[in-house]
This record gives sequence, C-alpha cells and structure tokens, in this order.
Amino acid sequence: MMALRGALIGAFLALASPAFAQERIAVVTTTTDLRSLTEAVGGERVAVVSLVPPTMDAEEYQPKPQDVLRLKNARMLVRVGLDYDLWADRLLTQAGNRAIGRSGPGYVDASYGIAALELRGMSVGPGDGHAHGSGNPHYWLDPKNAEVITATILEALARIDPANAASYEANRAAFLARLQGKIAEWEEKLAPLKGMPIVAYHNSWPYFARRFRLDFVGFIEVKPGVPPSPSHLSGIVRTMKARNVRIVVREPHEPQRDVAFVAGKTGATVVTLAASVGALPQAGDYIALFDANVAALLAAAR
Amino acid sequence: MSEALAFLLPPFLVAVCLVGIHAYFGIEVLRRKVIFVDLALAQIAALGATAAFMLGHPAQNAATYGYSLAFTLLAAVLLAFTRRWASRVPQEALIGVIYVVAAAAAILLIDQAPQGAEHLKQVLTGNILTSGWNDLAAIVPLYLAIGVLHWILRARLTGDSLAWDFVFYATFGVVVTSSVAIAGVLLVFSFLIIPAAIGVMFADALGRQLAIGWIAGIATSAAALAASFAFDLPTGAAMVCAFGISLAIAGMLYPFLRGDRHRALRVAGATVRWILVAILMGSALQLAAAPRADQPLIDLAEYAVPQLRSLYFTSSEQAAFADAGAYAERYRREAEELNERERRNRTEGETLDDFTVARISSFLKSYGEMRKGEQFVMGEVRARARERVRWIAAGALLLLALLFAPIRWRRIL
Repeated sequence: MMALRGALIGAFLALASPAFAQERIAVVTTTTDLRSLTEAVGGERVAVVSLVPPTMDAEEYQPKPQDVLRLKNARMLVRVGLDYDLWADRLLTQAGNRAIGRSGPGYVDASYGIAALELRGMSVGPGDGHAHGSGNPHYWLDPKNAEVITATILEALARIDPANAASYEANRAAFLARLQGKIAEWEEKLAPLKGMPIVAYHNSWPYFARRFRLDFVGFIEVKPGVPPSPSHLSGIVRTMKARNVRIVVREPHEPQRDVAFVAGKTGATVVTLAASVGALPQAGDYIALFDANVAALLAAAR
Repeated sequence: MSEALAFLLPPFLVAVCLVGIHAYFGIEVLRRKVIFVDLALAQIAALGATAAFMLGHPAQNAATYGYSLAFTLLAAVLLAFTRRWASRVPQEALIGVIYVVAAAAAILLIDQAPQGAEHLKQVLTGNILTSGWNDLAAIVPLYLAIGVLHWILRARLTGDSLAWDFVFYATFGVVVTSSVAIAGVLLVFSFLIIPAAIGVMFADALGRQLAIGWIAGIATSAAALAASFAFDLPTGAAMVCAFGISLAIAGMLYPFLRGDRHRALRVAGATVRWILVAILMGSALQLAAAPRADQPLIDLAEYAVPQLRSLYFTSSEQAAFADAGAYAERYRREAEELNERERRNRTEGETLDDFTVARISSFLKSYGEMRKGEQFVMGEVRARARERVRWIAAGALLLLALLFAPIRWRRIL
C-alpha cells in the first residue's frame, strides 16, 4: 500500500515538473491572420487562440466573457492595430494582465514598422497624444508585410522565452523562405491581371493591390456601416461601364444584395475573396489565403 | 437625369407597393394600439431564418423561408392571444417582450452559427435602393392577394374573435417578413405608422384615411428618393427622416385645417419666438460660463458668414487664424496628392520600392500631425478672442433674446 502511494506521488511529481511538461506559451491574437503568422514563428512551442471568428467583420467584433479569461491567462497578445481592433483596448483593461498591457513585454502591435497606406485624418484610438493618422489597416494582405509582422512577433517571443530564441528564428526563416517562393509564384500568376480595373465592396485591398499591381477603381461602401447613396452607386456603375470593369470583389461577410445589384447592372462577375485566414474554407492558413484569392481572381478573369 | 430616373424608378415603385399595403395595416395597427407589432414579427421572422441558417440551410433558400414563415405563424398565434391576456398588463408591453426575447434568442443562436451575425444584420437592414424588378415581381402578387383577402373579410377581421385575430397577425407577418428584407426595419416601421397616422389625423372613414395616407406616403417617398440622389445621402435613412418631417408638417398643418385659424397662427408665432428665446439665452449662458467650449450658435453663424469673426478678432488674431487655416488646407492637399500618387503607382510605371513607400507613409503621418497643429492654433486663437468678449457678447445675446420674447412689455413697464 505504501509502495503504491509512493509510486503515485512520484509519478505526479514527475508529471508536474517543468522539465517534463513542455509548457507551451499561451498567445492570444485578435485575428486569424495573426494567429497563422504567430504559429509560423512559434511552431510547437506556442498555443495560439484568435478572438474574432474569421467569418465576422473584425472591426465590429463584440468580445465575450471567455475572451477576458483568455487574455488573463495569456503571456502574449498580438493585435492588428491601426484602429482595426479598438475593442481589444477595453478587453485589456478588463483582463488587467500587466504582462500583455500596453507597456508589457507580451504586448505586440503587429502594425509596428509597417508602411501604412492611405493615411488620412486622425486616429481615434487611445494613443500617446500624437496625431498619427490611422491609415488603411488591412496591411497583412501584402504578403511581403509578413516579413515585418513576423519580425515583430519574433522579437516579442524572444523576449518572453529567450531560451528558445534560436528555434523561433529558424522557424521564421523557414517560413519566409517558403513565402518568398510563393510570392514569386503569385506575382507571376497575377501578372496578366496587371492594371485590370476591379471594384470592391469595401476598401480592404490597397496593400494587396500594391503588391500584385491590381487597379481597384471604386468601392460600393465608402464608409463602413453606411449604405451607399444613389448618386454614389450610379457613379460606380458609370465608372464600371466606362472602364469596362469585369470583376466585383466581395468578402463572405459583406451583403450579397448590393454587390449583385451592381454586378447585374454591368454584367460583371462577383468574386468572393477572403480578407482573413479561414474566411473561406480553402483559406486555411496565411499562405493558403493568398493561394485561394489568386485562384479565385484568375478564375473570374478568364 | 435619365440615369437618375433609371436608378430611382425601381426603388420608387417598390416604395409605392410598400406604402400601399403598410398604410392599410398601419391604420389597423393604430386602431388596435399594437404599434410595435411589426418589429416583433420582423424579429421573429429573422429568428426563424437564423435557426434555419444554423441548421445548415443557405440564405435565400426555400427551407430558410419556410422556417421564417413557420416562426411568424407561431408568433401570430401568440399575438392573437395577447389581447386576451392583456387585462392588467397592456398588450403593447407583451409585444415588446416578444420583440426583445426574439432579438436576444437570435443573438444566442448566432453564437453557434459562424456567419449568423452578418446574416441577421442583412435580414433586418435591407437596402431599398438596390431593390429591383425581381422584388416587384415577388411582392405585387403577394400584396394584392393579401389586400383582396382583407377586403373580402373586412367585416370579420375588425371583430373580436381569436381566429380572425390570428388571420390578421399571420397575414401581417407575411407582409412584414418580405418588406423588412427589402427595406429594413426602420423604413418599414415608417411606412407602417406615418402615412396611417397622417390619414387618421385628417379623416374618419377608412377609405379617405387610406387615400390621404397613400398620397402622403408616395409623395414623401418620391421627395426623399430625389433628395437622397441630389444630396448624396444613404437612401433608407433619408427616407425615414423625410417621413418624420412629413408627420411634423402634417402636425403643424392640423390646427390650421381643423379649428380656429387665427388662434393657430398666434400659437405658432409664440412657439417659434419662445424657441428662439431659448436658443439665444442658452447660447448666452454657454458663452459666459464656458467661452472655450463649443458654441453651436456662434460656430454656425461663423460657418455661414466667416466675416463675423472680424467683429471680435483683433487684426493680429485675424492674420494668425487665416494663416493657420491656409497652412492646414495646404497640408491636407499635399497629403491627398501623395496618397493619390501612391495609388496611381500601384498599377502605373515602376513599382516604388518598400523604402519609398515607407517614406511616403511617414510623410503622410507628419502632414497629419502638422495639420492638427494648425487646427489647434485656430481653435486657440478663437477661444482666446471669445474669452475676451464673453461678457459683452453674452449680454448682447440676452438682449436679443428679450427682444424676441413674446412678452407684452407695455403692460409690465
């Protein structure tokens, strides 16, 4: 009896000791794109959860009680920034986890070091009092920006877990090498679409357009959440006829009706693209996201 | 012009159909005092669609529509009973409860269905602007059938039996389910209540009430659609506001058409003058108490006539204000030019290297910061000038308020 008890205690101690249980670093990201990139750098050593379901509009996400708990237990938070996930600020206050607070070691604003496009007006987010314009927040849709984003993530992971810094660096290098080849492939595939005029429902695509030299000539929804006015809509239809726009881009969460209306008036094709990992079933990770979008655009342009 | 017409004709015809059936239901809804029943029914229909969505049926599918309809019919049974249950608690309270519970239940369901939130939003926020001939083809026969049915059964439907109450709510639910998907909750509520209210205001017989409601509703819809094109406004919201304005106008006309015209004129004059007095006195107090805060009346006047500033700015203040304004505008323009150059370069010419893009980005940031600085200067100059003149200006505003006040000074003095 004593022997059994001793064995049980021994087994428990062995399991509980840090050397045995390779504890993974709990990371919370606001979007699935950042989850995919964090996993690419962290590999087996991180356990990443993303808060916004990919099929939802991240700018309008309403956090749930579970999210506070996730942040409480996290050692690192990766967010998009540029006023895209403003709701994360309130969540951070509620969670009260110093390590991932604004000045904590585990706080990662992935927009750090990104050359933001279309900076206009002022940021509405809580900041340092500087008038940094908010800029278009969809910067992860330029695959080259993944270099900068993963560098920021790598830096934070190395700060939290310096013992494994070398392995994170190797993971990132391998990922970037794979991405490099893919970018060349996508650029080659989309080369015939260079300068082809495209209309989108929402302006999510400036970074994507810059990288692959696409021409987004108009947007159906000018301000998020405000339906288009008749003169704006008729202007879009006029532009589409004048410039012979054949493609209208929509994201899965955007209203089918308005897009179908514009496409119906001009005979253009509606293409559903994923602006986030997981928004379409075939866009399972960061690289698959571009694979899916490139394939969809090519199919529509044919 | 023809382009505008081509754009606005289908939504206008849809609006005519919606006004046609909703004005009738609205009169009945006002009579029964169940004003928010359409919101409850629309929300229940959306709940049904959400349930179907959760079970894996795609949106705009026969099964989804079936779920919507089944939920609506169940709600009609419930609503038919509410009149009987409403002895101590008003019926409208029960309807409100049905509405909030349906809305909350839909949110709980959405939590289980990944794309549910957007779907629910789309069910409840239609866009009348993008409605077309296919919508007309669907609603015209449906509304005609329901209209004829109600005409035949009119004597029974206004009665007090449970079964006919059910028929009323069920047909109304079918109408609302289709109209909310086209025009959205807010606009459908306006279509339902406002033409009916105007009709009830000016006539007693159902036929005349309907005629007045239809004319008011159709005229308002036409004016709102034209305004939304001319002034570049979101159509649905513009229409709801236009309906609100037309109800206000009808309310103001009422005492002139029904009753003593002279008295009505006198009351209207006094009301307008008291409103002016309240605005002027409020502005005077605001200026005296917090000269650095927003001054809506003075800001508005200065926006309309910028020369007004020369009344209280010193010449150096005027120069500083104009200078800062010119610089702010220049920074805005230069940032806009830079943005435009970056946009054009996405497809034209050689691509900019990443370093140049980063430089453009940081230039844009600086321009934003510089512009904010100039705007700060403008605000500060103005605030100081206002602080200086606050007592005199507030006194002048008070005097003006007294001049407008409809008080018989001779009797007092």
